[in-house]
Amino acid sequence: MATRRTLKGEKVTEKEDIAAIVPDTNPNGANPKNDSGGPAVPGSVIAKLLLFTLAMVVAPLGSYFLTVNAVFSGNTTFAGATAAVVANVVLITYVLVAMAEDTREQEEAKKSQ
Amino acid sequence: MSEVTEMNPIYAPFFGMAGVASAMIFSSMGAAYGTAKAGIAISGIGTFKPELIMKSLISVIMSGIIAVYGLVIAVLIAGDLGRKESSYSLFSGILHMAAGLSVGMTGLAAGYAIGLVGNAGSRAFLQQPKVFVGQVLILIFAEVLGLYGLIVALILNTKISG
Repeated sequence: MATRRTLKGEKVTEKEDIAAIVPDTNPNGANPKNDSGGPAVPGSVIAKLLLFTLAMVVAPLGSYFLTVNAVFSGNTTFAGATAAVVANVVLITYVLVAMAEDTREQEEAKKSQ
Repeated sequence: MSEVTEMNPIYAPFFGMAGVASAMIFSSMGAAYGTAKAGIAISGIGTFKPELIMKSLISVIMSGIIAVYGLVIAVLIAGDLGRKESSYSLFSGILHMAAGLSVGMTGLAAGYAIGLVGNAGSRAFLQQPKVFVGQVLILIFAEVLGLYGLIVALILNTKISG
């Protein structure tokens, strides 16, 4: 890391110089912090988190009220169980997405080495 | 709720309302503790490794599910409370309170466990990535405690609503 050369012959700022020496303060990780005012978090991550937030809020209650009269014809117990199952489905999907993201990052790190 | 008899006393709805409130309040207390305790650790490790935030957020999502359990039971009981054609018996009131307390208190316990496990697990995850699978398993076992309360509350609710 200390002998890493900057690509594209850019002007090395002091902060990046320190980051090249100390790996813990490296700003060029998976989510690079650019000082030019842009977002530090990539847009795909924000979209993913917004999607899961929306699903967590809407999906269980929405499935309850959709199924209570249409599917289970007023049986609130099955509709409540459906809401709980849907909430867990959202959770499992989130775990799978988080694990897939990790393996993808590892592959990218291997390719870059 | 028209007729007040010995089986349908005037104070019976109090227990039903207490069931709705305790289902929502206690499970939200558990979810809030879990979210806060895990959130402290996530912001702590996020300054070192931002790419771990996505995985560490699992405990926060599980805390949210605890609150959803309480919400489902609160909506169920509140739906039963509003029926005007039948009188509201003391049996129904106490049963609703049992359902609300079972989902609320198990939610409180599960949220507490999720908070502590999420906190320690996220910090350990910073040092050793292999902790992740074990952490998710422990979180699932903690969250299942709240699910048991939900199941008991749903079964209790079938005794009067059919």
